[in-house]
Amino acid sequence: MREALLEAGGALAAGTSRSRLHLPPANPFATARQVEASSTRIIPVEPAEPLDSAAFLDGIQRYSIEGWIGLVPVVRGYAAAAVLQRKAAELKPRAVEREEFLAVELDRLEPKARDALESAGLALHDVGPSDERRHPILDIHRAAQVVERRRELAERAVCSSFLREQPDSWLIVDGSIADYAESPDRAHRLVGLVKSHETQFLEGPDLQAALTLPAGHRTTVFARGAGKRATVFTWYLRLWPWEEHDLLHGLVRVERKPGDAAVEEATQVSRWILAERAPLTAPDGRWDRLVYPIQQVETYLRAQEVEA
Amino acid sequence: MSAGPPVGRVVATEALPAGPHQFHFWTATDTTLGIGAIIRVDAADRSVYGVVVDGSAYSDLASPLHDVIAAEGDPAGAGAPTRRTEIRLWTAAVLRQEPEEPVQPVPLADVFAATEADVEMALRIDGYARSEPPTALPVGAYRAAGLRAPVSLDADFLLGPESAHLNISGVSGLATKTSAVQFLLGSIFQHFPEHKGTVAAVCFNVKGPDLCFLDQPADLSHEDLELHRAIGVEAKPFERVSYYAPFKPDGVNLNTLRSHPDLLGSVRPLVWGLREVLAFHEVLLNRDDIDAKADALLDFLTDRVVEKEFRDDWGNTHEVKSFADLDQLFRSIFNGLEQTGRGDSWRTHHVATIRKVRNRLLNISTRCKGLVTDDGTVSDLPFGEFEDRAIYVIDIAGMDQLGQDLVFTRVVSTLRERLERQDLGVDHVIVFVDELNKYAPADGPDTYVRKMLLDISERGRYLGLVLFSAQQFRSQVHRRVVGNAGTTVYGRMDMDELATPGYQVLSPATKIKLATLPKGELMVRHPHFTQPVFVRFPRPAMLNGPEGLKRFPPSADVPFEEAIVRQLAAMDRRASPSRIKDVIAGRREEDVRRALLVTRRVRPDDAVAYFTAALGPVVRSQEIDSTRPATTPLRSVEDPYES
Repeated sequence: MREALLEAGGALAAGTSRSRLHLPPANPFATARQVEASSTRIIPVEPAEPLDSAAFLDGIQRYSIEGWIGLVPVVRGYAAAAVLQRKAAELKPRAVEREEFLAVELDRLEPKARDALESAGLALHDVGPSDERRHPILDIHRAAQVVERRRELAERAVCSSFLREQPDSWLIVDGSIADYAESPDRAHRLVGLVKSHETQFLEGPDLQAALTLPAGHRTTVFARGAGKRATVFTWYLRLWPWEEHDLLHGLVRVERKPGDAAVEEATQVSRWILAERAPLTAPDGRWDRLVYPIQQVETYLRAQEVEA
Repeated sequence: MSAGPPVGRVVATEALPAGPHQFHFWTATDTTLGIGAIIRVDAADRSVYGVVVDGSAYSDLASPLHDVIAAEGDPAGAGAPTRRTEIRLWTAAVLRQEPEEPVQPVPLADVFAATEADVEMALRIDGYARSEPPTALPVGAYRAAGLRAPVSLDADFLLGPESAHLNISGVSGLATKTSAVQFLLGSIFQHFPEHKGTVAAVCFNVKGPDLCFLDQPADLSHEDLELHRAIGVEAKPFERVSYYAPFKPDGVNLNTLRSHPDLLGSVRPLVWGLREVLAFHEVLLNRDDIDAKADALLDFLTDRVVEKEFRDDWGNTHEVKSFADLDQLFRSIFNGLEQTGRGDSWRTHHVATIRKVRNRLLNISTRCKGLVTDDGTVSDLPFGEFEDRAIYVIDIAGMDQLGQDLVFTRVVSTLRERLERQDLGVDHVIVFVDELNKYAPADGPDTYVRKMLLDISERGRYLGLVLFSAQQFRSQVHRRVVGNAGTTVYGRMDMDELATPGYQVLSPATKIKLATLPKGELMVRHPHFTQPVFVRFPRPAMLNGPEGLKRFPPSADVPFEEAIVRQLAAMDRRASPSRIKDVIAGRREEDVRRALLVTRRVRPDDAVAYFTAALGPVVRSQEIDSTRPATTPLRSVEDPYES
């Protein structure tokens, strides 16, 4: 089979057996506008070049269903975010936000029940109104979305806090920076590192070029479709060879706030990110896209979570 | 109570729990703590003192392969921009808990580097350093994490009666065993509490010039002087040191490396006669020679003949005080048997046994020439007049094994007898012997020397007889001898030795530290210390052997006449060499030696005058009447033992 694939001009995957269907992404497609070139081109970025002074941002969240009042689930949530700054290869915390709270559909509670929950000593966050018809899975899903929003808020809070102190420092964020509403003078060194590729912005030959990028190469910069979110400049970067794995193996998407600098610095920023391949974050399943400092922020937050 | 910020925190997991005797804690990677450091764990209701016995470091790297992948197989490639999170995880053994009861696991609390007060508490030194009266004897300084704190031993447990004896192990040249003992002896002499009585030391110099210059000051560095001050021991050489050495076979040159003209006068000869030696015939005579019959004859001689007026069966009276007298007695017996034809036995002893014993005994003065004399002259240690805080060094380095065994056995036995009778002159005697593996080996025959060392190690503490012993390899020494040492000290150790079963209680890290200990650092075990503790001691304030030899090079052996002149001149600076030569001209050498010994023993103001008097008038030879009948020769006497 493998020989036949190669003979047909294909590339090998890992051949891992699977028995469950992947759920389809909620937003599989979005639009893109080419910025750096008229069509997607592949640009080598080697050699990797470590960036000594940089900061890294990540957040965590968790929730648990503490009980029900009637059919209303009471969800206990925890969200935290931190910035660790690297100097001389050592990471030190610079900004931390953490919150523990209850996410409940407040409209559906009697005043007495609400008072009782408030006396628990945790902040109460409203899940918001819903349809009259109850669905326990959807109700919990809506509460979990509140937890996720609180985490995003915490991430933006530590980002602002850090950039207020050090606006000229490079800050690498785990995930998209589209919702980071920092002023341009503070966000000019903000970098988003996106590991998931649920939404595809390119199509046709552009997509082909992006998804078959060789290791150590990037695509040209394009502007991500905005929708409700702010526009960002972005490009794909391959950290590890994808052959014999899958198309998304080692593939990250880098985001910058729009501007000429984003294009001019794309190769340099790519080199820095390429250097973050070491240390390896294995055995984490995301090791091909998860860089070590981001993983360390997560580890730091998890350790804090235990003590919280 | 906390003298500084915490340096670590106790951690416990199911796999690595904190127990009442051992716990784990982590520190920053740039910590000043290390193996042997003393720490304190402070919880609300409990303080725990511990000593670091092991350490490990690891990162979050799950597999070495991940590092290879990250470096793309090239170790020389660009390094990772972020250093992996690393841990310094330490294992500590509990030294003390406060309160002591109930005994509980160590609390998961902050860890502090020990202060001076903590060191005292951790090692229970407070119990004897702050008691009334105190019994602390400084042994060195604990040094870690920027702290230097004195460490003391308890006199009751070092010199008895609670426990006693000290044993020190370590490789030659690097373990500084002799220096450690010198420093400790100095500390004992300065700090031995008055209420415990008097103390002296007898040191056997068994190799080279090790102990030959204990009274000579060394040039100490500023650091050594500082360390002396910190420990509380004054940096000065021993004030009262007496040296003893046997003669060389020539009978006039002392068998010692302390033979420089400036020092020779302070070395006294060690010379013994028949009385001193006979009681220890077991040491000198081969076990195969001494069967029951020979033993019976030896007992007879010891009990009934030596130092007594003895009348033989032929009407002759003998007063046997020397080997020469003994030989005279034997000859008389053989003559009597020959002349009277009374058969082949005398007083139930077969003539062959008598000949064998005679041969073996008379051979002793030949085998131990220089130490044992034929003529009964004796120069011995001042048993009965030992002085407080004095050291008696017996230099047996130049003797063969047999002579060393004899000196060692007789001196220690006499010390023991005197202490039992309480007429030695002091209440406690420390006997220092190096190369213990030679005298009390783990394997080999059960010698008289080994039996005596066992006896001291097991019962000496009740008498005040304390053994300070040293050897390279503890595993090669009889287990009961080293096992009875209440205090054990280790210098730099050999890794092969550390692999023997006797060191199983030590952690691998402690063993590594022992194998790489710098000079001047020791690991000490003492009854009050629940775990071994590393201490540093300064270079002692007296010259060591090699330095002593450099400053006081030994003199070459000199001819008989010149040796007598030098030795008398060393006693009396006014002595004229020409006068001495005149006095000894034409005199028999044994007469001169005897007179010199007596003079040395008395040490008169006018040594030459005393020597001349001791030598006595010249006895002129006389012509013998040639017509007088000569002695009738004996019939042939077969003596299979005659050499």
